[in-house]
Amino acid sequence: MPDDLDRELAELADAAARYEARHEPIPDLAWPEGARIAVNFTADFDAMLLRRLMNEPPMQLAKGEFGGRVGIWRLIELFDGHGVKATIFTPGRICELYPRAVVAAQRSGHEIADHMWEHRVPKEAELERDHLQRSTAALETLTGRRPAGTRSYHSHGLLRELGYLYRSNGSADHRPHYLRDADGGNCMVNLPFHYAIDDAMYFSFAWMGTDTSAQRMADPERVLDLWWDAFRQQHARGAGGYLNICLHPFVSGRALRIAMLDRLITRMKELPGVWFPTCEAVARHCLDKHPPRGGWN
Amino acid sequence: MPWKDGYTISDEQSLPDAEISWPEGARCCVGVTVDLGLAADPQGIQAADLATPVAHFAMHEGLDRLLEVLARHRTRATFAMPAAMARILGPRLRTLASEGHEIAAHGFRQEDVSTLDRREEEARLRRTTEILAEVAGRRPSGWFSLPRQGDRFAGGGISPHTMDLLIAQGYAYMGNGLADDVPHRWVTDFAARRSILVLPYYYHFDDQFFCMFPAKGTGLENPDALARNWRWEFEAQYRRGRHFHMTLHPQHIGWSHRLQLLDDFLGHIAGFQGLWNPTGAECAAHWDATYPAATHLRLEPSIWQDHSGSLS
Repeated sequence: MPDDLDRELAELADAAARYEARHEPIPDLAWPEGARIAVNFTADFDAMLLRRLMNEPPMQLAKGEFGGRVGIWRLIELFDGHGVKATIFTPGRICELYPRAVVAAQRSGHEIADHMWEHRVPKEAELERDHLQRSTAALETLTGRRPAGTRSYHSHGLLRELGYLYRSNGSADHRPHYLRDADGGNCMVNLPFHYAIDDAMYFSFAWMGTDTSAQRMADPERVLDLWWDAFRQQHARGAGGYLNICLHPFVSGRALRIAMLDRLITRMKELPGVWFPTCEAVARHCLDKHPPRGGWN
Repeated sequence: MPWKDGYTISDEQSLPDAEISWPEGARCCVGVTVDLGLAADPQGIQAADLATPVAHFAMHEGLDRLLEVLARHRTRATFAMPAAMARILGPRLRTLASEGHEIAAHGFRQEDVSTLDRREEEARLRRTTEILAEVAGRRPSGWFSLPRQGDRFAGGGISPHTMDLLIAQGYAYMGNGLADDVPHRWVTDFAARRSILVLPYYYHFDDQFFCMFPAKGTGLENPDALARNWRWEFEAQYRRGRHFHMTLHPQHIGWSHRLQLLDDFLGHIAGFQGLWNPTGAECAAHWDATYPAATHLRLEPSIWQDHSGSLS
C-alpha cells in the first residue's frame, strides 16, 4: 500500500518534470537600446473562418466578416498612426478572401505570420503537413516573404522544417522563452499571451462555442483599465518586460474599441522605454542576444 | 473581395469614413430600434411569455415611460413588431406611427426560422406582412430577425432563404446585420447581383444583453457597461461621421435606473451638432439613393480553390 502511494507521487512528479524540461526561460532578457518593455500587438485575422469551421449560423459569419470588411483596415490605420509594428496572424485561406488587406498590412511594415490554413491543425500527420505547406505558400506568394512565426499548435518538427522560428501560444511564463518537444529537440521561441489580454474573452458572445449562460460582456473602460494595469506591472520591472495583446479584427475593429486601443497606446507611449516591435523582431532578438542554452536543435 | 459562397455576404471593403454623407450635411446618423417582442428563446412568443409581470410591464408602464423619454429628446425609433404583438397591441400601433415612429416587421411570433422549409417560411412572412399592414395601416418596409435572451448566439437567426424571400416580397431593408457599422448590401445571388440593404446591429448596444443577463447566475445586472458601450461607440462614430445604433426593449430599458441611463445618454448626445435621427426606412432610402448597388456594390469573382482535406 505505501509503495502504491509513493508510486502515485512519483508519477505526478515525473509528469511535472517532463513538462518543465520542455521549457527554457530566458533569465536576463534585455531589449535593444535599453527599452524596458516590448509590447507585441497581435491580431488573429480569422474573420469568419473559425465561425464557418464550427458550422455557426449566417449572422455569426457576418459578425466575423466585419473583421475583413472594416476591422482589419482600422487596426492598420491605428497602428500606422502610432508607429506601432504589429503582427497579423493570418490563416492561409484569408489570402483568397481578403488579399488587399493582407498586402496593405505588409506594406505598412506589419508582419504577416501564420494562423493555420483554415484555423485548425488536422490530427493526421500527412494532412497537417498539407495544411501548413498550403498556408505558408499562400502567405509567401501574396507577400513575397516567408512567414517566420505562427500562432497555432502545429508540431514543432514540421514548423522547424518549414523555417519557422517562433510560435505564440499559452502563458507558461510572462516573457518570451524557448519551448521544445518532449525529447528535447525542435526548439522554438514562444511568445506567450494570456487569455486575460485577449479581446474575444471580453467581447465575443459565444466565443469558442460557449453556452449563453456563460456570457458576461464588458465595456471598453473596464478592459482599458485591466490592460493598462497589465502593461504597468511589466513596465515597472525595469527591464525585459513583455506584453502580448491578442486582438481580433472583427472584435477590436469596432469603433468603440479602436478608440479604447488608441487611448491605451497613447498612454503607453507617455512612459519611457516602450518598444512596439513585430513578434518576428522579438523572436530574432531573443535568438541573437539570448540564444537557447540547450542549443537551437 | 473575391466572393465566396457560404463565407461572405458582401463586398471586400466597407465605405471609408470620408465617403459617407448624411442628408443636409449631418455628421452622424443615430438609429434606434425598439424591439416589442417578448419571446424568451428561439421558439418565439408563447402564451406563457405573455402572462408574466415582465410582459405586463413591457406593454404598459415600460412602453409608456420609454416613449416619454424618447419624446423628451425628440428621438424617433423603429419598432420591430412581431405579428402576434401587433394583434395584441392593436390601435397602439397607429398611435406610434402618428408620433413619427416606424412600424417594421419582426417575424410572425418572433420565432427562429433557421430550420423552416422555404414554403413555410414564405407563408409566415406573407401573413406577417398582411397583419402588420392591416393593424398599422401601412405595409412594413423593414424586417427584423433580432436575437432573444435565450438564443445560442446574439446576432439573430435567419434561414438560408430569409434574405431572398424579403427581396421577393418587396422589403426595402433588413434591420439587423453584423458585417458593417453602416448600412451595407447582403448579396443573395452573386451572378445576378441580387441583394438587399441591411442596417447595422451589434449586441453590445442591445439592452437585453446587459439587463439581468444571462437568465440565471450572479453579476447579471450591467446596464452601466451598456451605457459605456453606447457612449464610446457614439463618440467614436461621431468623429468618423458614420452611424450609431442601439436596440431597446421596454421591459429592460424601461425600468427605473436603466431608464435614467437612457435619459442621460440621450441628453449627452443632444450636445453634439449635426445628428440625423431617421427611422429605418428613411435611413435605407437615403443609403439606396446615395450609394446604389449598381455603382457601389463592388463584387469580384471568387479565387478560392478547392483541395481535398480542406473545407470548401
